[in-house]
Amino acid sequence: MPEPLQPNRVVPPQSDGPGKARPPAKRAPRKARPESRRHVPEVARGHEAGERTYKRFDLSQRIEHAVFLLSFTTLALTGLIQKFASAGVSEFVLRLLGGIETTRIIHRTAAILLMVVAIYHIIGLLYRLLVRRSRMSMLPVPEDFRHLWQDVLVYLGRRRRKAYYGRFSYAEKVEYLAVVWGTVIMAITGFMMWNPIATARALPGEIIPAAKVAHGWEAVLAVAAILIWHFYNVHLRHFNRSMFNGRLSRAEMEHEHPAELAELDSGVPAPEPSAQDLRRRLRVFIPSATLLTAALGFGLIRFVTLEQTAILTLPPAEVGPAFVPQTPTPAPTPSAAPALPTPSALTWNAGIGQLFADRCGACHGDGGMAGLTLIDYASALRGSDNGPVIVPGEPDTSPLVLRQAAGNHPGQLTPEELELVRQWIDGGAPEQ
Amino acid sequence: MRVRLRLWLPGLLGLVAVPFLLAVAQAARAAPDAAALSRGRLSSSPDAGAAAAEVEGQNDACLACHNQTGLSTTLPSGETLSLYVSPEVFDSSVHGHEGLACASCHTTVGMYPHPPLQASTRRDLSLQLYTVCQDCHATEYALTQDSVHQRARDAGQPEAAVCTDCHGSHGIQPMTDPATGDLLAEARLRIPQTCARCHSTIYDKYLTSVHGSALIGQGNPDVPTCIDCHGVHNIEDPTTAAFRLKSPELCARCHTDPERMDKYGISTQVLQTYVADFHGTTVTLFEKLSPDAETNKPVCFDCHGVHDIARTDDPQRGLQIRENLLARCQRCHPTATANFPDAWLSHYIPSPAKTPLVYAVDVFYKLFIPATLGGMAVLVALDASWQVRKRVKRPPARAAEVSKPEPPAPTPREPQGPAASRPQDSAKEGSGSDEGQHA
Repeated sequence: MPEPLQPNRVVPPQSDGPGKARPPAKRAPRKARPESRRHVPEVARGHEAGERTYKRFDLSQRIEHAVFLLSFTTLALTGLIQKFASAGVSEFVLRLLGGIETTRIIHRTAAILLMVVAIYHIIGLLYRLLVRRSRMSMLPVPEDFRHLWQDVLVYLGRRRRKAYYGRFSYAEKVEYLAVVWGTVIMAITGFMMWNPIATARALPGEIIPAAKVAHGWEAVLAVAAILIWHFYNVHLRHFNRSMFNGRLSRAEMEHEHPAELAELDSGVPAPEPSAQDLRRRLRVFIPSATLLTAALGFGLIRFVTLEQTAILTLPPAEVGPAFVPQTPTPAPTPSAAPALPTPSALTWNAGIGQLFADRCGACHGDGGMAGLTLIDYASALRGSDNGPVIVPGEPDTSPLVLRQAAGNHPGQLTPEELELVRQWIDGGAPEQ
Repeated sequence: MRVRLRLWLPGLLGLVAVPFLLAVAQAARAAPDAAALSRGRLSSSPDAGAAAAEVEGQNDACLACHNQTGLSTTLPSGETLSLYVSPEVFDSSVHGHEGLACASCHTTVGMYPHPPLQASTRRDLSLQLYTVCQDCHATEYALTQDSVHQRARDAGQPEAAVCTDCHGSHGIQPMTDPATGDLLAEARLRIPQTCARCHSTIYDKYLTSVHGSALIGQGNPDVPTCIDCHGVHNIEDPTTAAFRLKSPELCARCHTDPERMDKYGISTQVLQTYVADFHGTTVTLFEKLSPDAETNKPVCFDCHGVHDIARTDDPQRGLQIRENLLARCQRCHPTATANFPDAWLSHYIPSPAKTPLVYAVDVFYKLFIPATLGGMAVLVALDASWQVRKRVKRPPARAAEVSKPEPPAPTPREPQGPAASRPQDSAKEGSGSDEGQHA
C-alpha cells in the first residue's frame, strides 16, 4: 500500500533543486511510479555526477502531503484554541483570527479540505492497489515488530546495526496508520458536532458530548504525535526532504530503507503490469472510481449542508413592556384639615380666638407677618401695618375675610371655618 | 545536519514563544474594574449643636404652614399638589436624623411669599427638584447619568425614574448599614416593591420565581432582589447584547458561592460546566473578544427564564422534566427531537453514573494518549541518546551521517563514503535476524 503522507529522507544538496526536480517527476509515470519498490535509481543531473538518487514520492503525492499539511495545521490551530479556549494564548490567537465564529468557519473550511484530501487518497489508493497492483507496503507485518525489537536491542547496546527496513519502516507505518485512524475518528465525531440534530435522531443524545470529548483528545493526540514522532523522525534526527523534492540519496536509502535498496540493486524489478493489462483494468476502474468519487463527494456535501442546527438570532428571553406603572397612582389627595371643635358661642373667648391661634398663629403670632397678630383679641382688632383687618359687623368689607375668600393664602381656612369667622364678624366680633 | 539542527530548534522555540509572550502581555493589561461605590455621607460639622438648633428654627418656620394637612395648591395641569409635610415622617427619615434644613433641598423657595412654581405638572416639579440630590450625593448622581432611566428620559420619557421616585422625598429611609455598607434586610424587601411601582408586570413575574417567592414570601436574604442583577444607580439596559453576554457572571456570583448554595443543595459547578460546553465557551469568548456583539448561543436565562426563573425540579415548569427541556432546546433548535436534550449534560461533570458514554470516552483517551505518546517518547529518547553516543564515539563529519556500517566490516570496501557502500554488505554484517526483508 503506497503512501502519500510519508515522512521521508532527503536527497543531499547536490540533487536537483526544486525546479530541476520536475523533469524526473514528469517522467515518473512512464518509468517508475511512486509505488512501493518501483524506484528506479536515476543519476542526478548536474554537479557531483555519479551520485544516484531514488524516487520516493511523485509530485501528486507531494502535493497531497502539502495540502494535508495545510489543512491539518489549520485544523490543529483553530481546534486546539477552541478546546483550550480559556488559555491566554488561545484568547490571543482567537482575537487574531477575528473571534470564535470566524475561527469556526476557518476550522470547518479546513475540515472540508482535509476530507477532500482523504477522498483523493482513497481513490489513489484503490488505483495503486487495483490497477497497478502495487504491494501494500504500508500495512504492518510481523516483521515490523521484529524490527522494533532489533532497534531496541541496538539502543541498549546489545546489537550493532539498526533493523533492516524495507520500503516503509515501522515508524512510518505507525504514523500512516495514526493518520488514517485520526482522520476517521475526527470525521465521524466532527460530523456529530456539525450535525447534532441529525445525529440525535438516530443515536442517543449523549453521543454528541462524547464526540466532542473524543474530537478534542484525538486532536491533542494527533498534534502531540506529530511533534514527538514525526518531527523527530523526519526533521530532527535527519532532515528528510523526500516529501518536498521526491527523492532520496543512496546514502539515505542505505540508512532508511536498506532492504528496499538491496532489492533494487539486486536488479530484479517487480513485474510491471503490461500496457494491455493496464488498459483492461482502467476500463473498469475509471467508471467505478468516478462513481465512488461522486458518492463520496455527495457524502461530503451532505455532511456540510445536512442541517441548519440552530436559528441564527435568538429571540429575546423576555418580552413585554418594561414600564407598566402599578395601579395608576393618584396623587395623594390632600387630606382635609381635622375639624376644630365647634365654638360653643360666636365669641373670641369661646373658640374663635382658638381658631385664629391654630390656623394663623404660626405666621401671625407675636409680631407676626405684615404686623398682623391674631393671637389676642386686642391685636386682632387693631389689624396689620395696613390697617384693621376685621371690621365688626361688616364681614364683606373685612380684609381678612376678603383675603381668605380669594384663596391661595398660605394658611387657608376651610370654607366652614371662614363661615364661622364671617358670622362672628357679622355679630360684631365680640370678645365675650 | 548539525547546522540545520541548530537553526531548527530556535526556530521552533521562537514560533511557540512569540504568541505565548504576546498573550502574557495581553493578560497583564487586564483592568481591574472594581467600581467601589463611595457612599456620600454628610459629615457633621464641629459646631453641630449650634447649627442643629438653627436648622430646627428654620424648619419650624416652614412647618408652621406646611404641617397643615390640607395645605395644597393647584398646578396649571389641574393636578392638586399637596404642600403638606409630616414632621414625624421627616424627623424619622435619614435626612431628619442628619438634621437637614428644608432649604437644603428646597433651595429656591426662599422666604414667604414663595416665588411662583415654574412647574406645570407634578412630574415637572419632581424633575426640577431631584437634581439637588447631587449637591450631597455626587457619586450616586453621576452614576444615574449613565443609567437606562436617564437614557429613557433623554429619549422623551419623563416618567423614567429619578432619585426621588425610588428613594422618596421627605421620608427617605436608609438602604445600607452605615457601619458595614451592607444592604439592610428591610431594604432588600423594599426594593422589589419600589421597582414594582413602574415595572408591575415584571414584579408579578418575579413573585412567581424561585427567587421572588423566597424573598417576598419568606424574607429569605440569600435570593437576589432586583438590584443584585440590575445594579443600582447606573442600572444598565438589560436588553443589550453586552448585558446578555455578561449575565452568566451575574448568576455565577451567587451560584458559585458554596456558602450560599450548600444551604439549598444546589451545585456550584453550574458556571464551570456551562463554560465547558459549546454554548458557554462561545458566550465566554464573545464576552472577552467582542462584548457588544450578538450571538445566538444561549446564556443562563435563555433556558432558566428571566424574572420567572423556576426551580429545575418544579413540578410544572422545571427543566428536569424532559418535555420542558426539549421545549427550551426547540426555541433555538426548532427541529430538535426527543434524544436531543441529552446532548446537554445538565450541568453535570461527566461521571460513570450520569453520563457513562462521555465518561468512558474521556477515560479512554486519558489512558490511550499517555500510552501512545509515552511509547513514542521512549523510542525517540532511546534513538536520540543512541545517536548522541554514536557521535561522541565517531568523528563529527561521519556522525552526521546517521547509522553507518562499522569500520571493521568483514567485506573489504573502498573507504570513501556512504554512497559507495552497498547495502547487501551491510546486511551481511547484521545479525542473523536481518533477512526476510522481502516479505
